[in-house]
Amino acid sequence: MRYALRLVVSRLGLAVITLLAVSLVIFWTVELLPGDPATRILGQDATPERVKVLREQLNLDEPALERYTDWLGGMARGDWGDSIVAERPVTDYVLPRLENTLILAGYALALYIPLSLTLGIVTAVFRESRFTVWLSAAVLVGTAVPEFVVGILLLLVFAVTLPWFPPLADIDQTQSLPDLLHKLFLPAVTLTLAMTAYAVRMMQSSLVSVLESDYVRMATLKGLSRRRVILRHALPNALGPALRVTVLNVAWLIGGVVLVEVIFTFPGIGQLLIDSIRNLDTPVIEAIALIFAAVYILANLGADLVAAGLNPRLRAGGR
Amino acid sequence: MSVAAGSGPVDAPSLPEPITRPKGVLTFLRRQPLTFLVVSAVLAIYLLVAVTGPWWAPYPPDELLTGDPFAPPSWDHLLGTDNFGRDVFSRLVHGERLVLGLALATAGLSVIVGSAVGLLSACLRGWPDEVLGRVLEILISIPPLIIALLVLGSLGSSYLLTISLVALFFAIRVATVIRAAALDVVVEDFITLARLRGEPIWSIAVREILPNVSSAVLVEFSLRTGYAVLFIGGLSFLGFGPAPPTPDWGLMINEGRTYISTAPWPVLGPALALAGLVVALSLFTERISEVLGLSAQRAPSQ
Repeated sequence: MRYALRLVVSRLGLAVITLLAVSLVIFWTVELLPGDPATRILGQDATPERVKVLREQLNLDEPALERYTDWLGGMARGDWGDSIVAERPVTDYVLPRLENTLILAGYALALYIPLSLTLGIVTAVFRESRFTVWLSAAVLVGTAVPEFVVGILLLLVFAVTLPWFPPLADIDQTQSLPDLLHKLFLPAVTLTLAMTAYAVRMMQSSLVSVLESDYVRMATLKGLSRRRVILRHALPNALGPALRVTVLNVAWLIGGVVLVEVIFTFPGIGQLLIDSIRNLDTPVIEAIALIFAAVYILANLGADLVAAGLNPRLRAGGR
Repeated sequence: MSVAAGSGPVDAPSLPEPITRPKGVLTFLRRQPLTFLVVSAVLAIYLLVAVTGPWWAPYPPDELLTGDPFAPPSWDHLLGTDNFGRDVFSRLVHGERLVLGLALATAGLSVIVGSAVGLLSACLRGWPDEVLGRVLEILISIPPLIIALLVLGSLGSSYLLTISLVALFFAIRVATVIRAAALDVVVEDFITLARLRGEPIWSIAVREILPNVSSAVLVEFSLRTGYAVLFIGGLSFLGFGPAPPTPDWGLMINEGRTYISTAPWPVLGPALALAGLVVALSLFTERISEVLGLSAQRAPSQ
């Protein structure tokens, strides 16, 4: 137990160090690049007065280290500064977009969990059937095809050729739930398909090895029903690796969501990040990048802890 | 901890399948499953098109109005034309050199740098290896796409920057894999012997360890090439790649997106070409890692 606690604490420490390192990278990339940020934002032919005002607005005359700590402290306190383009607090600007992205990601995860569980079990249990061979091939292809290609193809087939779904997944507060689910279906499915492909592959291989282990054979020989053997005896032991992939999938969603939001012009933070980079809206870029990085690091931390929890040698006290 | 990614029941602690040295290329090929042959052929065609394409492509890639804008596929325009009347097929063929070249350069650089770091770390052992391992763990948790977008957005995109940036992210992952493989080798007696003989550390790394992890290096190269096509394609799709009118596939998809309801072919061509390349590379990696007795490291986050 003490060992487990030590593991969690050291992992957590590492995650905090990583987050600090990433925040430094983000800050350095955005602010300390060659050339004066104020001039970069306003363009080469800006008047010196305007540059001066913007420099003051961005606190550019303070030393870099001080600006970094100010920024990080502000982020932690919930004071994210003002957007240069929208001229209002970044929080007002980013949080509604974050909510949209979370709705989309939640929708994708809600589709993903039952789908990958079912397919994982089916491909493992009926591993010798023809259908499974084809399904496994499809899954393999699914892990390889880039998500923006999948998104484009889905858009082409189910929004352009067959007008079943809208090509633009905009979202507003007045929509009813069925309407929302309908509008967000294509982007959510794009994310789901990519995640499912990884999870099914992982689940299948772990479930197959469990199904062929002695204790499962024993349970079958004892005369338990096939259903009971699979669901009560085999599945719990195969879920661990699947859980780990699921957590890693959340980390993957960070990148996936940016591409998918752009394809379906969805008003989430991925789209906002791209727009802000184009507009050089530094406070917004920094805030979104830090949010993404934090989720990515937390998901990786979660996956590490799940993996550690699954390793009996580590669980028992380790070396 | 990690689950064997094979699909077969490999319970028995049997001897590793005897790898019979192929007597000739033909005998080796005859033993391969059909899918592998098909996949290799597809990759060979991609490579051939990349090398020779610009000589036989029907039109120059950026010639405007080779036909009507948005002309559907026909014998004159195999994949139709885009909004400027440019021939989509010709652009695809011309762009392949770029897509493949960038991916190979990125994968090559990442494997060289990553292997060097991984080997060095494993050779040093003790606390330097411990520290380097921790540093790699921190670096691996940096979200690649987000940082790549920030850097390319701030500095402006260029081939060199894209290659080195993506190679850097991949090198971290390669280093982790190679370090793990090399750590299994450094405990062997022949390494201890080499040390006692007084062999310098670089010589141990290159002459003693590297030959024993070469299959891991090879699989990493193949795997990273596919990931590089994906990653760089994604970047240029988002508009952080080469500038128009470069016939880059990701950029073509991005440009054609606006007119997708009028004319899907300017998008469909590059999208399917990209998907085919990545799938073929992925199946190829799968098979060579199987032949070499390794399981390709696959995690959803690149």
